[in-house]
Amino acid sequence: MKDNRKLWQWPWRYKESFVFILGLMLVGFALQLTVGSFNFYLLASPINYTIGGLFLLFFGFFSYSKRKTKLYTWLTSIPFSVTLIGGLLILSIFMGSIPQRLTASKSSMPLYSQFGFDAVTSMWSFVILYFLTLLSLGLTISKKLWRLQKKDFIFHTSHIGLWVLLFAAGLGSADMKRYVMHIPEGEVEWRVYSPEKDILELPIAIQLHDFIMEEYPPQLALINKTNGKLYPDSKKSFFSLDSPSPIGELGPYQVELKKYIHNAIRSSDTLYREAHMPGATPAAHITVKTNNNLTKTGWVSGGNAIQLFSTIDIDSIYSIVMTRPEPKRFLSKVDIFTKDGKEYLNQEIEVNKPFKTGDWTIYQYGYDNEAGKLSSYTSLELVYDPWLTYAYIGIGLLFVSSIALVIQGKPTKSRKI
Amino acid sequence: MTWNNFIYFAYPTLLCWGVSGVLINLRKYRKLALLLMSLGLLIFFSFIIGLWIGQNRPPLRTMGETRLWYSFFLSAIGLLTYYRWRYSWLLTFSSLVASIFIGINILKPEIHSANLMPALQSYWFIPHVTVYILSYAMLGAATIAASIKLYKINKGETEQGLLLFIDNLIYIGFGFLMLGLLMGALWAKEAWGHYWSWDPKETWAFITCAAYLIYIHMRLRNSHLKTTLWLLPLAFILLLITWIGVNYLPSAQTSIHTYS
Repeated sequence: MKDNRKLWQWPWRYKESFVFILGLMLVGFALQLTVGSFNFYLLASPINYTIGGLFLLFFGFFSYSKRKTKLYTWLTSIPFSVTLIGGLLILSIFMGSIPQRLTASKSSMPLYSQFGFDAVTSMWSFVILYFLTLLSLGLTISKKLWRLQKKDFIFHTSHIGLWVLLFAAGLGSADMKRYVMHIPEGEVEWRVYSPEKDILELPIAIQLHDFIMEEYPPQLALINKTNGKLYPDSKKSFFSLDSPSPIGELGPYQVELKKYIHNAIRSSDTLYREAHMPGATPAAHITVKTNNNLTKTGWVSGGNAIQLFSTIDIDSIYSIVMTRPEPKRFLSKVDIFTKDGKEYLNQEIEVNKPFKTGDWTIYQYGYDNEAGKLSSYTSLELVYDPWLTYAYIGIGLLFVSSIALVIQGKPTKSRKI
Repeated sequence: MTWNNFIYFAYPTLLCWGVSGVLINLRKYRKLALLLMSLGLLIFFSFIIGLWIGQNRPPLRTMGETRLWYSFFLSAIGLLTYYRWRYSWLLTFSSLVASIFIGINILKPEIHSANLMPALQSYWFIPHVTVYILSYAMLGAATIAASIKLYKINKGETEQGLLLFIDNLIYIGFGFLMLGLLMGALWAKEAWGHYWSWDPKETWAFITCAAYLIYIHMRLRNSHLKTTLWLLPLAFILLLITWIGVNYLPSAQTSIHTYS
């Protein structure tokens, strides 16, 4: 199809869309250099609700009365949407390649930083394209809503779902708050740290009864005592203490596991016994066969803040040591109280198992990494997101449309140009 | 039941799926192939259930256990997709990848118990990864088909069949891609506190989706066919960056999507 139109001659297609969107991005860059990066929190409630309402009114009005205009046709056309997605794609490539900062600082010198490429989500060009997407997507939906047809099921679920999700995740995120709360065992806490490290008081108080951590059985490793490095250096060799076979290799040596105690305490210089108490540490009783057929038997343990470690010296250079156990799961046993009088007693908050009350979600965030399972406090993250339900509605609609897409594939009826 | 019983289930399953993956390509034996595929699924699933009962917890905690589910779902969804779309190569592909996962569990028993860190212990983990594997397979196949189509266009051939096939693969593959992304978002909300944080892996997943969206939208009109087809190899490169390349980018230093 030969296109003999001049630029800006209706109907507008790819050329016009490209120039228009590039122009808007340049306006964005100019704004970036003059007023700095865009502050999304300016859109916090009630601004975002107002913008949402205006968007809907505008879609209703525009699609009712201006549906036949050239401008409307262009804004909802494929060339326009393709160019728009292309613009977002290119900005996202910068975002995905350059390390991003949480907040763009004005004093930073590098040119890419002045243009906002190290904080793309608060870049004017990105924000402009985001709003343009909401506009074009909304108009496209409203155009088809006037003549609802069954065959447009995937169109509507995917486009409406995307619009709702984009709105909730973008404009809605201005209302989102994330705080970290550190609670010592046995105590009640309602003060939190904001990302800027300010201390705030929340309408939620949490009492920590117990912080529990389960660990995976650790591994045995060979180290060079003179420099503390693993041996052999090139090919890291470990002996797994929960492997099905008790005999294995550790570097050039053969190791046989005689006994493994996951919760052990040292009862004498040469003996460990099982004991389920704070401060227990994994310990392994092993026999090592060295090259010249000598054997050594003894206990190896990684130790912790309470117990000293144990190693087996192979010779004056090499020792067998135990690695730090990795966490299997960690959780906080808590009571949660809200200011409006709700109580949730004996709750467990664990990674991947947050606790939800109202618009707040409470996550297991961290603990004292040095102390590991002996940590005397827990760190919880409290996230406030009043737009979460909308985001889930958007995700749900997109989910339905994706399943329908897999089942339906590309409609075979050929389309008109 | 424990891992010691694994081989008694694994070998029969491998046999069923292996034979099925070959026979599905021979018109005469298709029914037999589908029967064997289902039989393999049944044998394999009974091991998973047995292990579940034997260990008194769902087998979802170690890498080895995760691979069991990959094998199971790849074959199951591969079979369902075959029933819907009759792409025999896809069934061969799913049974091959599912068998590789079984093979790893047989040959490398020492990594059965490679520890699954707490953030990965989620029911989203397996479906999230499985649909991505299927999506990548279909989008990869579409890329190859697009190269063939471009070659044919350059030679002046104009038949439409291959183009419809490419479009169909992209639609299904994109559907799976979106499902993977959405499950990732739901999981991220449970594990990291937000469903979308523009983590480098997420950003590149968005980029990949955007690229395929451009293809899908441009194909709604019949103009610019060659340019549109060229988008597919380009989009697949972006997909590969999302999958493998992102760990090597400077932005990866801040990623929470690295598990080594």
